[in-house]
Amino acid sequence: MEKKVWDPSPPGSWSFDPPRDKDPVTGEDMEKIPFEEYCRRMFDPDKLWEKPEALKGWRHISSTMYILSPHVGATLGEFGAEVIKVEMPKLGDPMRHTSPFNEAYLWPETDHRPQVGTGMGFLHANDNKYFITLDYHAPEAKELYYDLIRISDSMAECYRPGTFYRWGIGYPQLKEVNPRLIYIYLGGFGNYGPRRYGGSYDILGQAVGGLAAITGWHEDFGGHPTKQTNWLIDWYSGLTGLIGVLAAAHYRRKTGLGTFIDLSQISCSTRATGYAFPLYGRFGVVRQRWGNWDTLLSVHGIIMTGRTDDPEHPNPQISVESRYVMVSAFQDDDFRELCYIIGRPDLWEKYSSARERVKPEAQIEIYRALEEWASDKSRSEVVEILNNAGLIAVPVFSAKDVYECEHFWERGTLRWIDDPIFGDVLVHGATVKMSETPPRVKWVWRPIGADNIRIYHELLGYPLPKLKELWEKGVI
Amino acid sequence: MSDEKYEEKYVELEINDVKDTLLPRPWPVTEPRKREELYAPWVKDPRDPDGSYGEFVEENIHYKKAVGKPWALDGIIVLDCTVMGMAGAIAASYLGELGATVIKVEPIEGDPQRYWYPFGREEYAFEDIYTGEKVSPTFIHEHRNEYSITLNLETEKGREIFKRLAVHADIILENYPPGTFDEWGIGYRQLSRINPRLIYAWFGQLGQWGSMKDRTSKYGQWMLDPVGLSASEYVHSTGFPADLLPREFGGNPTRSGEWVGDIVAGVWGTVGILAALYYRENVSGRGQFIEATSAESYMEILDFNISWYAYDGSIKARIGGWDPNLNQYAWNPCKDGYMMIGGQSDRLWYRILQVIAQEDPEGARLIAEDPFLKEMAARNALEGLIKTYTVTAHWLVNNTRAEAEAKMNAREVAAAPVLMIDEIAEYEHFVYRGHVIEVMDEHYGRVLVSNSPLAHQHRTPARIKWVGRPLGLDNGEIFARYLGIGPEEMKKLAREGVTTWYHE
Repeated sequence: MEKKVWDPSPPGSWSFDPPRDKDPVTGEDMEKIPFEEYCRRMFDPDKLWEKPEALKGWRHISSTMYILSPHVGATLGEFGAEVIKVEMPKLGDPMRHTSPFNEAYLWPETDHRPQVGTGMGFLHANDNKYFITLDYHAPEAKELYYDLIRISDSMAECYRPGTFYRWGIGYPQLKEVNPRLIYIYLGGFGNYGPRRYGGSYDILGQAVGGLAAITGWHEDFGGHPTKQTNWLIDWYSGLTGLIGVLAAAHYRRKTGLGTFIDLSQISCSTRATGYAFPLYGRFGVVRQRWGNWDTLLSVHGIIMTGRTDDPEHPNPQISVESRYVMVSAFQDDDFRELCYIIGRPDLWEKYSSARERVKPEAQIEIYRALEEWASDKSRSEVVEILNNAGLIAVPVFSAKDVYECEHFWERGTLRWIDDPIFGDVLVHGATVKMSETPPRVKWVWRPIGADNIRIYHELLGYPLPKLKELWEKGVI
Repeated sequence: MSDEKYEEKYVELEINDVKDTLLPRPWPVTEPRKREELYAPWVKDPRDPDGSYGEFVEENIHYKKAVGKPWALDGIIVLDCTVMGMAGAIAASYLGELGATVIKVEPIEGDPQRYWYPFGREEYAFEDIYTGEKVSPTFIHEHRNEYSITLNLETEKGREIFKRLAVHADIILENYPPGTFDEWGIGYRQLSRINPRLIYAWFGQLGQWGSMKDRTSKYGQWMLDPVGLSASEYVHSTGFPADLLPREFGGNPTRSGEWVGDIVAGVWGTVGILAALYYRENVSGRGQFIEATSAESYMEILDFNISWYAYDGSIKARIGGWDPNLNQYAWNPCKDGYMMIGGQSDRLWYRILQVIAQEDPEGARLIAEDPFLKEMAARNALEGLIKTYTVTAHWLVNNTRAEAEAKMNAREVAAAPVLMIDEIAEYEHFVYRGHVIEVMDEHYGRVLVSNSPLAHQHRTPARIKWVGRPLGLDNGEIFARYLGIGPEEMKKLAREGVTTWYHE
């Protein structure tokens, strides 16, 4: 696919006070145009840079590592906040050394080590941030940090509970420095409780929080608890924390007081287990894994087809693995149609009630019949047959399919950005579409300590000789 | 000690019916330790030597101290018109837990989620203590702190009433197929005329516009999760590879057990809504149109996958419980289940080896002295993963989850077992922190639910006041409060099929 460059658009203002009734450029009556066209104009990705930012003027300090806690800052940054990421001098965030199979890196990581790059794992959790360095262990660090906090709206940290307090920059101390501060701690086990000192990772949240227990194939089918790909609990818990931060900002508007949020990512995993806990608490039934099928609806799951569309492709991910289809026909009419298509009207006779066909035995029989029917067809044939019959079927996309899907490009979800340091990088910006204040990605990241001068000198006003002194001591 | 204690006792249960297995049990079986024990002077804590931080947190942040604290979103009115999908329910419950007034607008027959029982088993229904009306545990769990009203939006009259209600609303959540509300005259472009401050959020799988937007089947069936997960390559990259686990035993691309695409879309939508609220309150004074879809929301979580493809054409493959980016960072089988051990930086990585070395010195030395594994980033290569996990898994097969957890924790390594749902409900730390709590509901009695992750806050913690409500319970109050419609008119409307009236 051709790279898209986002040109500045034609004149006409969508910013601040967009007229509701007519298009600012063409003057067309917005009430009259078809709904899809209306949405296309409201969310037009080409108009992104003409629109204002929701959180302009907000300043956030991100004393963070990995994904969970940096994600709060990155998202605030996408909404227009000024986000300052504080890293350890020279070393930086360990996530910089993280790349799939040690393969993909962008250079340079820092001035100190020009031969080392920053790994792809760092991507998206550090958009739009300014990067400064500070060694919290140094005696000078406390005052520097207070100066940052005094002019900030919020901060996020992820060190083990009590560490910041010991360094003199915990919430009890910082709330005296800046009572408006919204302080969010993000970690695994939280700040209190018997296991409060346990470290945590995304995968730990999945394991111990309950998502692992319900994802994957059932034990009786030979399955194991399955990890959700790429750090679901880190990303999603970071957003959950952000909900708390933004809600606290709403409260602060009335009272002028900040808050402390103690967010446990394990709790977020537990929150995402659906009916598991009511069911256990009332009936003692322990929810188990149920593979690619659904415990609430049938047919509503993923089936394997006979072959892929491109069996000759050198990459097995395309030639072997891209052969799954998600089929959804849970309402009576849809299910009947599906049974006739696959030549098994007897299944419809047998399971004509929605409740009956969700029963485990029924699901096993139905999905087996479906896979049998699909076993001599390719993925696109199955999708085509079902879609032509008016049913819902979606191929299981690989990264290649997503990249080649026009839908995500026209919506501006996938876009090439021209990063000031690294050049062309493909990102998925604008995850949530907003008509007036859309979020945006400006740059993916910067080297370690790239903005020390900008922040310490230009923002806080420290004289350059002083900075040089701190640099020589290894504080920054 | 008598041998009796160690003798396994089997209780003969005669199970003739599913009902015989439905045994309610007390919760929690074991109470967590008391605060005095956890923070006792002999508990030496290097990060908090005088215990003052622990004291502060226990006094101010503990979820039990939340009673009586203010609500962050006090006074915000939300109309939740979503049905079937979970995204709207998640957004509504987060807003509701933070104090917004959330009104769930349901069709006359109710949200179909009310009747989606796990495996179609009606035995798993919760019954209203007063009326015996049944509802599914899914609905109970996801629709916390929401009022329920019924309003038939398919009638002209119903839409008129909805418009009058929308005048009061700050936020509307909706997930009907694209354009449905617009066609009914209650979409964003019509409602923003009568209420410019309105923030209107639409939730879906793929989008309201674009070449692959959400659509319905020819019989009107909606697209639901995991459509978005499938279209975002989540499914493709989750699960065990076929050479680790044969396809017939589940070595396939795997969807999540829960509708996580919707959950993530709900959370992203809520973030968008609150940012829009901030902008409205501080800058513009007007609302906006928001759209959150499962596929796109999930794509962000998939992180660099698509950028990696664009970078060198790599397609992320399934890799089971391992992770191609971090070493160690995986769960592997152990004596009685699965054990997750993680430690990426040199400091933590070598600590794990120190623990292993106590029982398997040769294995640990093999890894520790391998020049290939010296550097943090180099360890992530597939060869490095295989080497490391072979040794770790060897050590794990001789350890139970509890043993491995204790040994690793003694060296402050992030390690935890894969827990089943019942074990989570009983895990001491989670009971102490209220990750799982029992809500005493007026209509459904004691209900065990997972608590809001935002429940631990200094000033404005999230709380669960009640779980899902019986259908149309709040018709009387909401109609009178916002629309001035009293019982007599309600009866008339109920006869016309616009709403329902409990007492008739």
